[in-house]
Amino acid sequence: MPYDLPHDRPLTLRERIYLPEVLAGLGIVTRHFLRNLFFSRDANPDILARKGLSQNVTVQYPEEKQPYPPGYRGLHRLVPREDGKPRCVACYMCATACPAQCIYIEAGEVPGDPIEKYPTKFVIDELRCVVCGFCVEACPKDAIRMDTGEHAPPSYERKDQIWDEKRLLRGAPVSYQYDPWLRRGAPSIPPADLEKMRAAAKPFHTVATDEASQTPGFSVKALAAEAKSRGR
Amino acid sequence: MKRFVGMVITLGALLAGLVALSYAFYLAAGFCAGVAVRWGAPPSYGAAVANIVTLMLVVMMVTGSLLTVAERKWSALMQNRIGANRITVFGNPLGGIPYLLADALKMLTKEATGAASRSKFLYELAPFLSFVPVFVLFAVIPVGPEVEVLGHRISLVVASPDAGLIYIFAISSLAVYGTSLAGWASNNKLGLLGGVRASSQMIGYEVSLGLSLVGLMMAYRTLRLDEMVVAQGDAVLGPVPALGILLQPAAFLIFFASAFAETKRAPFDLPEGESEIVGYFVEYSGMKFGMMFLAEFIEIVILAGIVAALFLGGWHPVLFEGWLRASLPPVWFAAVGAGAFLAKMIVLCWLQLTIRWLLPRFRYDQIQTLCWKMLLPAGLVNVFVTGAAILLDPSLQLLAWIGLAEIVVLVAISAAAARAPAQPEPAAHLAAGHGH
Repeated sequence: MPYDLPHDRPLTLRERIYLPEVLAGLGIVTRHFLRNLFFSRDANPDILARKGLSQNVTVQYPEEKQPYPPGYRGLHRLVPREDGKPRCVACYMCATACPAQCIYIEAGEVPGDPIEKYPTKFVIDELRCVVCGFCVEACPKDAIRMDTGEHAPPSYERKDQIWDEKRLLRGAPVSYQYDPWLRRGAPSIPPADLEKMRAAAKPFHTVATDEASQTPGFSVKALAAEAKSRGR
Repeated sequence: MKRFVGMVITLGALLAGLVALSYAFYLAAGFCAGVAVRWGAPPSYGAAVANIVTLMLVVMMVTGSLLTVAERKWSALMQNRIGANRITVFGNPLGGIPYLLADALKMLTKEATGAASRSKFLYELAPFLSFVPVFVLFAVIPVGPEVEVLGHRISLVVASPDAGLIYIFAISSLAVYGTSLAGWASNNKLGLLGGVRASSQMIGYEVSLGLSLVGLMMAYRTLRLDEMVVAQGDAVLGPVPALGILLQPAAFLIFFASAFAETKRAPFDLPEGESEIVGYFVEYSGMKFGMMFLAEFIEIVILAGIVAALFLGGWHPVLFEGWLRASLPPVWFAAVGAGAFLAKMIVLCWLQLTIRWLLPRFRYDQIQTLCWKMLLPAGLVNVFVTGAAILLDPSLQLLAWIGLAEIVVLVAISAAAARAPAQPEPAAHLAAGHGH
């Protein structure tokens, strides 16, 4: 059932005189005007939590931004290892999964290593990207994420929307204990760094936890507590 | 808190600035009167020239232009927004005032288009015909009292013809030519319909416009606006002065509504509604459109000026008037009076913009009903009641009591309307299980 539209009721005498209702409305508008004129706007991006006598609800967008909600699929990033190199092993899973075919990868072999590959080129065309997140799902190495909490910034040139591995590689490094380059070592990692990276590596989680969360601000624990408080 | 203090200071500075500006106007008028005397002309000629420059070009045009910005900013404040603030001067949006320059630049540099089959002469004439009548109306509005400046009797009014109010009715009814010609000359069906709507509305409301002021003419026994303003300073009902709004509250409402319809703005914007109704200036672009647009805002200033002069005591500061008159030099008292007039005018401009953002547009039949079935009979009744009251009591006391009673009744009903609880929905369809 769609909304039940309010039925017309006959106007009361006062409403038919019209003028008193106009004056009452004038009072309301004037109150808004004076409050917004004399009192400063609370710039809190959470509008409902704004305080003060001003009732202004504007968010001055480019200067003030509302944070995106947990789970927001934003701009991609290539997740770095502790030594600053990408976790990506150039397996082409993301490029294969991508429905928009916006990921272009060229693989290169790590010198002196018989197994390991790395992307010599990793290019995402953000104009073609449909922000579906399949690349993140497809990645077996947790090497591409969309947890930057921002969207592709505007640009005057189309070519500025084509992000290569140098721009994509950013954010907090991630290491897991199962990472092959940590378990067996790699020629690209000096032995001293290897120990440090092994110490920083986390266990790989098979269930969602806060530590493995890909999204800043997302908390499985909080969700579980909330569900518990609801009595489920 | 910072904003509060800043706003209070700004408003105080605005009032002081208006007084200082008025003082400068008086000096300019006195100086020009002296120049005129040296050239062998009557001093009033020089004062009139000075007043044309100061009052019509500075006060009216600047206020009218600023209202285009004010409409954005004030409507934003009413709607809990910020409003235009993206053009900044050294990082300060200055209340949106720089938008004025941007708008003017846009209007002046836009391509002047027009329908090929237009009636060329009338098409070019129409913007002037809609702009000039509202422009010259300000000539008879008395901004400041008569006072001796630099040896000449000067008052801040361009001209005070004996016809006074008749001049206002005559000239303001000329504005309809601009709108109807604009609609007709552009050879556009929708434009023509807009022009027809405009002329029928404006001609209709002119009747109640004129009729509403008959009571004031009888009460003050004059047609001259400056004498009417002077008469409003006389005490009636003890210390309360005989303000027009006290003697004639019904006339105030009728006049305000009718004049509002004459300005063709919401809720009476059927001739042309920005986003919905194609109107009489649909074929105009650039500054030709800009002149019609500006004429609308200048009409607001004119209406505010007329209402301030006729109903709100004109240049009488109303509060502390005796004390101000006794303690200030005459020129400064006159400047305070003129500043008070300008302040009243600004408040009335604000009121008009507020009403424009408050009320939804009337339907066309509602507009005609309001004019012919409500305002016109009410105006007639007001004329007879006023005449009877003046006949019974020439000292205007009875009239003031009647006016006071009208105001009290209106305020009481409005206060009850503001506090009335929302009407409950009829129970019938709630019980039917709808609403999901």
